Amino acid sequence: MNAPLMILEIAVVLLGLVILLADLWTPPSQKQSLGYIAAAAVGLILLGSFFIEAPQARYACGQMYVMDDLALYFKRFFLLATVAVLVMSVEFADRIEAGISEYYALILFALSGMMFAASANDFVLVFVALELITVTFYILTSFQRSRVPSLEAGIKYLILGALSSAFMVYGIALVFGTANTTNFAEIATGAKAISAKPIFLLGLLLVLVGLGFKIAAFPFQMWAPDVYQGSPAPTTAFLAVGSKAAGFVLLLRVLFSAVPEVTVSWTKLLMIISGVTILYGNLCAVPQRNLKRLLGYSTIAHAGYMLLGVTAMSVAGSYAILYYLGGYLFTVLAAFTVICVVMRAVEGDDISAVAGLHQRSPLLAVTMALAMVSLAGIPPLAGFFGKFLLLKAVIEKGALQPAYYWLTAAALIGVVISFYYYLGVVKAIYWSEAPADQPALQISKPTRFSLYGCIAGMLYLGIFPNDMVEIALHAAQALKL
Amino acid sequence: MKEALPWLILFLPLLSAVVITLFTKKDRELSAKLSIGAIVGSFALSMLFIALAGWEPIKQESLVTWLGVGELQVDFGLRLDALSLLMLLIVTGVGSAIHIYSYGYMHEDRSMSRYFASLSLFTFSMLGIVLANNFIQMFIFWELVGVSSYLLIGFWHERPAAADACKKAFLTNRLGDFGFLIGILLVWSALGSLKFSVLEIELAKNPDALGTLATAAGLLIFCGAMGKSAQFPLHVWLPDAMEGPTPVSALIHAATMVAAGVYMLCRVFFLLNAPALAVIGWIGGITALLAALIAVQQNDIKRILAYSTLSQLGYMVMAVGVHAPSAAMYHLTTHAFFKAMLFLGAGSVIHALHHEQNIWNMGALKSKMPITFWTFLLGTLALSGVPPFSGFFSKDEILVAASHQNGVLFALGVLVAALTSFYMFRLIFVAFLGPAKSPAAGHAHESPRVMTLPLVALAVPTVLAGFWGIENLYGKQFGLVEEAHPSSWFNHLFEPFNHAPLAALAGLGALVFGLSAAWHLYRNATRDRLPETFGVLTRVMQNRFYFDEFYATLIANTQDLAAKAADAFDRWIIAGLLIKGAHGTIELFGRALRLMQTGNLQTYTFLFVAGVALVLFYVFGR
Repeated sequence: MNAPLMILEIAVVLLGLVILLADLWTPPSQKQSLGYIAAAAVGLILLGSFFIEAPQARYACGQMYVMDDLALYFKRFFLLATVAVLVMSVEFADRIEAGISEYYALILFALSGMMFAASANDFVLVFVALELITVTFYILTSFQRSRVPSLEAGIKYLILGALSSAFMVYGIALVFGTANTTNFAEIATGAKAISAKPIFLLGLLLVLVGLGFKIAAFPFQMWAPDVYQGSPAPTTAFLAVGSKAAGFVLLLRVLFSAVPEVTVSWTKLLMIISGVTILYGNLCAVPQRNLKRLLGYSTIAHAGYMLLGVTAMSVAGSYAILYYLGGYLFTVLAAFTVICVVMRAVEGDDISAVAGLHQRSPLLAVTMALAMVSLAGIPPLAGFFGKFLLLKAVIEKGALQPAYYWLTAAALIGVVISFYYYLGVVKAIYWSEAPADQPALQISKPTRFSLYGCIAGMLYLGIFPNDMVEIALHAAQALKL
Repeated sequence: MKEALPWLILFLPLLSAVVITLFTKKDRELSAKLSIGAIVGSFALSMLFIALAGWEPIKQESLVTWLGVGELQVDFGLRLDALSLLMLLIVTGVGSAIHIYSYGYMHEDRSMSRYFASLSLFTFSMLGIVLANNFIQMFIFWELVGVSSYLLIGFWHERPAAADACKKAFLTNRLGDFGFLIGILLVWSALGSLKFSVLEIELAKNPDALGTLATAAGLLIFCGAMGKSAQFPLHVWLPDAMEGPTPVSALIHAATMVAAGVYMLCRVFFLLNAPALAVIGWIGGITALLAALIAVQQNDIKRILAYSTLSQLGYMVMAVGVHAPSAAMYHLTTHAFFKAMLFLGAGSVIHALHHEQNIWNMGALKSKMPITFWTFLLGTLALSGVPPFSGFFSKDEILVAASHQNGVLFALGVLVAALTSFYMFRLIFVAFLGPAKSPAAGHAHESPRVMTLPLVALAVPTVLAGFWGIENLYGKQFGLVEEAHPSSWFNHLFEPFNHAPLAALAGLGALVFGLSAAWHLYRNATRDRLPETFGVLTRVMQNRFYFDEFYATLIANTQDLAAKAADAFDRWIIAGLLIKGAHGTIELFGRALRLMQTGNLQTYTFLFVAGVALVLFYVFGR
């Protein structure tokens, strides 16, 4: 079993249970601040994670659970994201009628699912972890029970998620049927013999469909805009950052640990998916007026950018993904925290809600503007360097296969299109008049710290990328590419 | 200590500019004193340095590598040799006199602090040019000089004429500097260095190192000098620059900044090949003649001096062109003294007449402003080349060099000399002698001590600079054989006549001709009788050969045309086709794709499954 290896996950699950229990003894007026306690505790677990080292891969639960640098990188990523999401949730708490403690607990349970996903070394754990994430998100998306859009988002996510899970579990069954194992390492050693079997490939493809759903890659992206738009803002943020990153870590593990040979033969397919996802996400974002929906499409595009790193089939590509996710974390959380604060009094999340934001709150305006600029990939922010690394990884491969250049071109076109709608938001913030009689914006201290942290992260990763590159490179080497 | 002195000399004025701008702006007196103190300090330190280190100190001093990009290494260093040290003395010495004079001249002005801050900034920039040991450093200070000149010409920015003039000066200079910069880049690309000493060694080793680029590079670098030293056809800015305060005209537009072009040409003389020099010589000659002709028919006292400056700068550039950089520098030096003094004298007159600048409203100032008159007369004598004044010797050297190289240029030089003495004595006769031609002239008083003292101080070198052996210092710098030193002052005076009698006598003849013509026409005159005799020609001169009008039409037409074309391109091709087109297509795509996103769950499920089918088909179906 080797349970001590899973100490971080165990701590998170326990924390979730503690929050649920604490709810019983906490007076209603204090329940909101349980979120801060949860955030602080997650922060402590994050600190604790730095006492764990994994230079050599170690295993638990047979070979199902692996602890290596990559797993550790993503666990820290998820922990950090959760801290910000919990802070955001407290900010959002007064918009949730009942059960705020459950909301916090569910976030923690989703977090544990993500952390298990980071360590998945077996298709069974892949499935279990994903279901843990997805099922909690079904509830998280529909948590504003009296709001129809929220319920609609929940239902859509539930049905489409169930569909994709069905494909995935069918795929896993097919893989197990042909390979007689679900363990990545064993599949990798026996891959030569079975990789020619169409049934095995079919099984793998269906698994990829399930993962494609998680990261919202074309053509499995349909759910994303509706769910992003309808869900409570903290849920959306957690979906955009945590759930997507979980999808990516699984994708990396499946593609490069379990079936590297097959993956290479699917390069073209991945390239097409990547390119189309980028263009689709960016093109659809252009006419959007709803901020959350716009960001929903934008995250589709970003999934496409990160797929660039997958198509490169190299360490350079993989660590670029890790780096990109790092910058993406700060950027998206910054944007959603601002949305969370600004949209308090506004129904509909329209871009006009941030019009003239710089007059109402310079901090929020700057944060949002920086987030948009970082998402657009303009130096000196994190988003720029991430895109640079991804494109560099792809172009390096261009000498072998010219198709990579076409992919680069598609990505660049996507980036240019994205300027339009990202800068449109900046324009609204700084060059539009704020509507009269807007209520004053109150920013709580923890939220303020969270915003500062996000700004610092975006700037630090953009201006001093070396440390982070080092860490990402280290983590990516665990993939043995 | 000795090493630190040049740095101190360079940075004292900057310090003063910064301190005035940041701290003492409110206190006009203190600001003025700071600025004056800085330049007088620089002057004293310069003399101290020369006394300590002599005229040939350490050839090169390079303290800081300022910029290093690949092969390009730019140092920030000071070049110290006879050329730069003499120039240092001129800038700080003449500058000191003018700073002190300014204290009197600008005393009533509200913005005196700003004036002195700009003046200090200018001094710093000018010293930077003088001391630069590489092209980049020189170019940076070159532009700084441009900026400070802009600030000073436009000092009275509330006057539209001053605002226009400073804009014109800056833009015209930029035009020349553009060529200068390309020239610098050409030299760098061909020789791989920008340091003067390295370049000089490279070219000495291999004279053809620049290859076919040699002429082009030389001429492009000359473009820079053309702008700063106001050579034809970029001369138009200098007369307008007289809109600035008169001491500024004296310092910047007579003694120092406009000399920077000539100085730079002498500094990089080793770069210039024969064809480039020929062009330079002709440009200088044409400028000298053109400006002298225009000066003959100007009535504004400062404009006469401005055109005279142009003409003399043409002389210097011509001297460079006839392979006589030491003569050019010699004339630059003496000219700095007497022209600065003439401008200050003019300023004194203007000050006394309450900003009257038309010489036909003056007259009879000799008795009322004796110091101003006598110093002005000395300056005129020096400028016209009367022996034994300094101008005589330096002009003679140029004429000698020209007579060796190019007969036509020599004749041109003599003609210009005649014109020079004509228009200068015209100025003397009309403005200082004869009857008083306006009530203001009748009530004029001598200027205060603080203004007359600098005049007297500058009169000393005006008279004596020919006997100080300056030409030998420059001669050594440019590798000329040192001639046997004449034993006494007396011999020195007649030396030109023994050495090259043709040039000396021609110069003297021209002087006499010009003087007598002016005497004939303008003695006791109350109006100009020249137009009656020469008609069209004088009208053309009066209108400055219509250069401004020509440029105005040229610029208006070409610029309007280019602007219209650019506007059309921008409006229709860029904004219309590219931006609107791209934006429209993308927006269209976005809207079309959005239609897929119906919000209908059944549709989503269908599309999802269709997507799965698509992927499966891609892998298995082909």
